[in-house]
Amino acid sequence: MQVNRDNSDSGLQSEINITPLVDVVLVLLIIFMVVVPLLMQGYDVDIPRTSSQPVQAQAAESRLILSIAPSTCRIFQPPASEGLPADCHVILAKQNIPAAELPARVAEILGGQPPERRVLFLDADDRLNYEGVLRIIDLAKSNVEDLKIEFITH
Amino acid sequence: MRLGEPIKMQAAINITPLVDVVLVLLIIFMVMAPQMRKGPDVNLPNTAKPTDQGDERGRILVSIDDAGQLWINDQRVTREHFDEALRAAVGTEQNPKVVVRGDAKLKFGEVREAMLALDQAGFRGVGLIAKKAGAEGRRD
Repeated sequence: MQVNRDNSDSGLQSEINITPLVDVVLVLLIIFMVVVPLLMQGYDVDIPRTSSQPVQAQAAESRLILSIAPSTCRIFQPPASEGLPADCHVILAKQNIPAAELPARVAEILGGQPPERRVLFLDADDRLNYEGVLRIIDLAKSNVEDLKIEFITH
Repeated sequence: MRLGEPIKMQAAINITPLVDVVLVLLIIFMVMAPQMRKGPDVNLPNTAKPTDQGDERGRILVSIDDAGQLWINDQRVTREHFDEALRAAVGTEQNPKVVVRGDAKLKFGEVREAMLALDQAGFRGVGLIAKKAGAEGRRD
């Protein structure tokens, strides 16, 4: 970086001032060192057990069940674009609704409940694509805070 | 400095070697960051709003690759030996947490089977790892 050290008479500083460069590089280094701790993002889900669990105590008929069937939502391959196919319908509380309406409907039903009652039971068909199912979970969770997802196993 | 000239003292610290070292460290971190992840290459599903699952260290990573094979951390395990391998991975750790990294191409049933196996091993609740849509540049 030393271009010309011979600044004899003029008093002109011919060296590049690298202090800002060093600042930026050090900050970048610190950012990388901090970010590398590998943060992950995802969804917490539960599987209701046959043994006694607090959630199990919730009366079966008051459960909010979200069913995804391959006949109404054809996601067998990873969706090509973001979001879900427009014709994807899901069954929420026994009503067939378009997937796009899911955030509003879940918020309507569970939004007023106390946090421990905000549980959505998910009944997804095994043949469906995993990414599609996660996107539906994402939609269902998007408007309700602290929504718990429980998988129903047959 | 030529002969006969008065000696000019250089009062500034020469930081060029420092810059060199820092730059090299930076490059090392940039290159190594994607490779420091545990487990196989998994093409994680893209979703709109995944929530933070915290640091990967200290979690047990159960990965399911696009062929449906199970991995615990860096080790491939068969379905028959999944329970033992899981117990070995838990070790003496108190309150272990498990996350599932499933490939986007999988059928939901394959992920559910792994979750059932985890449930039978005594883990209540797992994290399903996804990737925020549009977040590029990550290997997983």
